[in-house]
Amino acid sequence: MKINFRHATILGIVLIVAGAVIFLVKSAALHYPLTPGARATLWDFEIYLEFVGRNQPARIETYIPAGDVERTFPQEEFYNGSFGLSLIGETGSRNRKAVWTYRYPANKKVLRYAAQTLGETLSTPLPLAFRESEPQVIPFQADEVKRQAFIVWSGNLRQRSADDRSFADLALKSVFETRADNEQFADEVAALLEEGEGVVGRLLLAQQLLQSQGVPARIAGGVYLSDERRREETRRWLEYHIDGDDFRFFPGGAPDRFFTIWYGPRPLVTADGVDDLDVQIALRSRETSAAAVAENAPGPLGDFGRAMGFSGLPLTTQLVYQVLITIPVGIAILVFLRQFIGFKTLGTFMPVLIGIAFRETALINGILLFSLLIALGLTLRFYLERLHLLLVPRLAVVLIFIVMAMAGITILMTGANQAIGLSISLFPMVILTMTIERMSIVWEESSAGEAIKQGVGSLAVAAITYLAMTNSHVEYLMYQFPELLLVLMGLCVLMGRYTGLRLSELWRFRALAN
Amino acid sequence: MLKTYRALKRNGVIGINERNVRFVNALNARKFLIRVDDKELTKELASAAGIATPELYGVIKNARDMKRLPEFIDHTDGFVIKPAMGSQGKGIIVIDGPLKGGWRLSSGRRIDLEGMKYQINNMLSGMYSLGGQPDKALVEYRVKFDNIFGQVSYKGVPDIRVIVLKGVPVFAMLRLPTAESDGKANLHKGGVGAGIDLATGRTKRAMQHDQFVEIHPDTGYPLEDIQTPYWDEILLMAAKSYEMTELGYVGVDVVLDRDKGPLLLELNARPGISIQIANRVGLRFVLDKAEALGAAVRTPEERVEIAKTLG
Repeated sequence: MKINFRHATILGIVLIVAGAVIFLVKSAALHYPLTPGARATLWDFEIYLEFVGRNQPARIETYIPAGDVERTFPQEEFYNGSFGLSLIGETGSRNRKAVWTYRYPANKKVLRYAAQTLGETLSTPLPLAFRESEPQVIPFQADEVKRQAFIVWSGNLRQRSADDRSFADLALKSVFETRADNEQFADEVAALLEEGEGVVGRLLLAQQLLQSQGVPARIAGGVYLSDERRREETRRWLEYHIDGDDFRFFPGGAPDRFFTIWYGPRPLVTADGVDDLDVQIALRSRETSAAAVAENAPGPLGDFGRAMGFSGLPLTTQLVYQVLITIPVGIAILVFLRQFIGFKTLGTFMPVLIGIAFRETALINGILLFSLLIALGLTLRFYLERLHLLLVPRLAVVLIFIVMAMAGITILMTGANQAIGLSISLFPMVILTMTIERMSIVWEESSAGEAIKQGVGSLAVAAITYLAMTNSHVEYLMYQFPELLLVLMGLCVLMGRYTGLRLSELWRFRALAN
Repeated sequence: MLKTYRALKRNGVIGINERNVRFVNALNARKFLIRVDDKELTKELASAAGIATPELYGVIKNARDMKRLPEFIDHTDGFVIKPAMGSQGKGIIVIDGPLKGGWRLSSGRRIDLEGMKYQINNMLSGMYSLGGQPDKALVEYRVKFDNIFGQVSYKGVPDIRVIVLKGVPVFAMLRLPTAESDGKANLHKGGVGAGIDLATGRTKRAMQHDQFVEIHPDTGYPLEDIQTPYWDEILLMAAKSYEMTELGYVGVDVVLDRDKGPLLLELNARPGISIQIANRVGLRFVLDKAEALGAAVRTPEERVEIAKTLG
């Protein structure tokens, strides 16, 4: 017996943990939303190129975001006009390029690339290819004067730092400080920075500093996702990786959300053979269903999420499961009410079935109809008692009568323009018939009071389970996270080993409490 | 609420959950349950074990047996018809004797042969059996109850319920019918239960509707300190039920007949737990003690001796 007990406890806990782990993976890692109707902000991103052809061969190259395991761009769109488009992956980096070409463009031309993205945040890990690259020392290469300046400067930074992290902090600070604050190495920095290079030049210098210490680093380019804008500027920042930790350095402060498009010091767009090139980057935010975003998550984790859900099924099947999957919630509540509270009901699962029927009628109407049908059925049952019929034929008569009563109510209600009449048709007549039979036996064998008490108890449980099963939050959670069934199952296993007193027994045995 | 829970726990009160898991499920093998669920089989096994039961007049299983009904019920001192697999006294008809061409029910109403056949058909179609499976009807001797409890009974037949754990009687109570319970000795219908001291067979204090009572609500006589006749014999019958059923946890229902002494009425593999209130003590400690006696083979007589030391 002891072994049984432990076995059941372990089984229950294993089931609950298994369900909870899948639930956590889906909610925390895949961002399946926990509330129905949760929204996610999706950004429409567009590169819009306008230029005038020179009637000579033209070649316009633009970096476009590259997909990988953690990002995909299924909604990509290109507008090519009469240009030829080829997509090129750059070797050695993760970059992807769209190359538009045309032999003799004339007049004003327009090219367009559009994609949708959720963007990234500071906590988004760096791309896998980058993190997995071996750290290697890349010495600084330039003419002798610059090399001397670089060595003096980096040597000093190295002396003043304790490890790679503090070195990186110092280096970035030193590179981005203005001349006045940077007395000591202002000359070296000035010598190393060429005039007019701006942010990219400084980032490049910082990258070289880090690489000379064996810290993998690179310049990333993209946009900040903060406002809707027709002309968004491209931004540059530095990504580096120390001892398994990801870092991003944004000159001028980090944005909440950004979108990485390309890597390297080169500009986003390069064009040959055209005039008056105008690059417009437009951003528009769009609210969308967070669940749909999670369901479309890429990679094996996304596949796992899809495998643990119903989103791959045909719509009609999904709708069936949307209802079915809430029934275990009702059942678990029923178990609790019976084993812990001590509710007495007519038939074991009958209240849950009645609760399901309430779906069609809504609560108040359901209770009224249910009581009416039971009352009518009981009246007939008491009359039939006098005819001395055999059990099964008598049950059949009651059942036929129930169907007739349901039809009668529907016709009457429709005549009175009441919609509830229609909803009654799905009332479970077999369940009603058995309920009437059980109630009449209790009525005769115990008392009318006991029969009514059990009837009302069943109705109360039916109402409670109905409210739980139709709660939009419960419906959503169960449907989006079917693994919660394992949790419910585990709970039922544990409840099955509850040997303590029920709430009703506290009342029943109150005389023995002192 | 938590205080009540703790107090009940401290007093060893067990609930339905614990009864089911620790006793009924753990000690009563499913394959033996038929021995108590089918009352015809119970009678056969009891007579083989030398336990007296009310005499069986006939068994009705089908329409052909029904033709012999008049022959089965040809007893002017009354008879009882009950479903063989009924529970909690459901569906039982008690006939006191003939009345104006028909019969008189214990409630005083008249019933004719037609009405009786209808009730029997209900029994046969499984209206009162667990799970509704087809049943049979037993016609048997109506117990003429011993007047010893006359002062504390209202109509009906009082009976004695003994809880037996692995053959050791551990708890006993006298169940007395009241006006409210309609002459039935069922506690949940409002009958009175009086705890019985196992060593002496004298009633201790009593309960009705889960509350302590001192006197019988209809007759007004005190319920305490009534000596149960044939006490040792009753304990022995209860103890013997273990060999007979091989069930580790049963409720044994015994009635006292004026002429025939104690008769085994039926056995119950899921005895109720109200007996704790009647005895004013929780079951757990006594059950634990009896369980701790282990599996040593003992005769029913030895187990009765153990029972008397348990209290």
